[in-house]
Amino acid sequence: MNKTTIISLGFLLVMGVFPFFADSAWLAVGTTFLVFSVVAFSQDIILGRAGAFHMGHAAFFGLGAYTTAILNTHFGWPILATWAPAVIIPMVVALITTAPIIHLRGDYLLVTTIGINIIFLQVLENDLFGITGGPNGIFGIDVVKIFGYELFEQIHMYFMAFILLGITLFIMKTLDGSKFGRAMFYINKDDVAAQSMGIDLRYYKLYAFAIGAGLAGAAGSMFAVQYSAVSPEAFDVLQSIMFFTIVLVGGSASLPGVLLGTFVMFVLPEIFREFETARYLVFGLAMILTMILRPRGIWPAKFGNIPAFLKKGKK
Amino acid sequence: MSQYLLEIKNVSKFFSGLTAIDALNLKVKKGQIYGIIGPNGAGKTTLFNCITGIYTPEEGEILWHGKDIKGTAPHKIAGLGILRTFQTIRLFAEMSVAENIMSGRHIKSKQKWYNGIIPTPAYYKDEKYNWGKVGEYMELFGLSEYATTPAGDLSYGVQRKIEMARALAAEPELLILDEPAAGLNENETKELADIIKKVQAMGVTIMMIEHDMDMIMSLCEYMTVINFGAWICDGVAADVQDNPAVIEAYIGSEDEDE
Ligand SMILES: Nc1ncnc2c1ncn2[C@@H]1O[C@H](COP(=O)(O)OP(=O)(O)O)[C@@H](O)[C@H]1O
Ligand SMILES: [Mg+2]
Repeated sequence: MNKTTIISLGFLLVMGVFPFFADSAWLAVGTTFLVFSVVAFSQDIILGRAGAFHMGHAAFFGLGAYTTAILNTHFGWPILATWAPAVIIPMVVALITTAPIIHLRGDYLLVTTIGINIIFLQVLENDLFGITGGPNGIFGIDVVKIFGYELFEQIHMYFMAFILLGITLFIMKTLDGSKFGRAMFYINKDDVAAQSMGIDLRYYKLYAFAIGAGLAGAAGSMFAVQYSAVSPEAFDVLQSIMFFTIVLVGGSASLPGVLLGTFVMFVLPEIFREFETARYLVFGLAMILTMILRPRGIWPAKFGNIPAFLKKGKK
Repeated sequence: MSQYLLEIKNVSKFFSGLTAIDALNLKVKKGQIYGIIGPNGAGKTTLFNCITGIYTPEEGEILWHGKDIKGTAPHKIAGLGILRTFQTIRLFAEMSVAENIMSGRHIKSKQKWYNGIIPTPAYYKDEKYNWGKVGEYMELFGLSEYATTPAGDLSYGVQRKIEMARALAAEPELLILDEPAAGLNENETKELADIIKKVQAMGVTIMMIEHDMDMIMSLCEYMTVINFGAWICDGVAADVQDNPAVIEAYIGSEDEDE
């Protein structure tokens, strides 16, 4: 078992027992943390692993949320039935919108992905097709019904988000231990060398976008159910900047780093509600200081996760 | 089927007015160690970049097993069995030596598209098998002790070995080495020559650019000399060494040569 696995399991354990000591308000904070962790991890697949400068992630998160909201409130689909489309639609949209720009250099990609996010927000606010609810969004989203039970309590929300995070961690572990995850790192570190080893840059960058968007969509669906409402401002460019920054400040491709970033950005402000407006000040300062003092993040990723039988030699 | 593994036929490559390669011809036989020599700026690296798909030559043909591969994308070239090293070492510096060499196993891995998110028994088997192969190549190059060390932390000589091990891990038919001895000391150069012979014995054809004349003359069965992108002469070591045109090309450019 490597260090990342141990940290993941430890984290899951802590989050698994947390609800038994928490009241409903704390449970809500905990749920938010779990959901945003999933989004941050999915951003980390694209940015931290594949190294694609993607600053429109809130659009994929929002796409998942609105897919669930629209299918449920306008078309009467049960929430469970909206899960698959809430994953697949962001994936497909990510592939279609990024395929023509995936070869662009970092700075161009950055601008283009911001553009995607802006267009998405415009679609929501202008109530295109009359189904997004405009600036007010959509209310009255159902709860999950399963085997005749209604999962409406906060603890239900919490454990659904918990399971989603568990699935996310499992996927990331699988990815990192596969040729797909490694290909992303190789591309990130030296794309010319990666190509010369037979790695198709386009394919693996799009792969990262598809997985990242799908996971963000799943988190979005959970987010919509948790609040039983969605509105555009939760998915604007500022949110995308936050996800982007969490990864860089926490530490690209670093599991504890990304969790730390998410905690500081989305949980601390919930705990200190009265200081909520100060969070951007704090985070802004954290961003500047981290980039100066620890350019690879507060908790940088460590490579060298190789099977034990290869580690015989001295370090 | 052609008797040659690789044929360069009338290949020219231009950079905005500069003729980097000028109607060059050469033929590499299977199993050979083939040398490309010439003064700095002669177009040697550019030739390798044309073969490996980084550049597309404006004119001519690059025949691999008799089929034109000109303009094929670099990642597909690797898939065809042509792997390379770089004149300026290009390792994944922050990643461990083992992970670097594992990149060579990329094209050999049989993982399915869904194995990036869903592990299957075949996925675990494939991972285990390929890491095992990495172990073999580390052993072969004497790199086992550095398995978990970031490649960028190691000495120049060791980095050169990692780069070769990485390319070799892809089980290439043709291995292209761009100045593999550059920056190495005498001992390291000797060791490298032994490794290259070992690689040849494994059945790999080798093309190499090198400035170390002793190394070239002792290793290469055949070689082509180029200057200003154009063919000067080719032949076995002895012929090339005594060719007046070669001597002139080198003397004429002595001051730019390192
Ligand atoms: N990408 C490029 N753009 C413009 N000129 C280039 C490029 N690559 C190489 N050249 C030029 O082509 C010539 C041959 O370079 P190169 O192949 O690197 O020489 P060598 O490897 O034999 O020392 C040089 O004059 C070099 O400046
Ligand atoms: Mg060169």
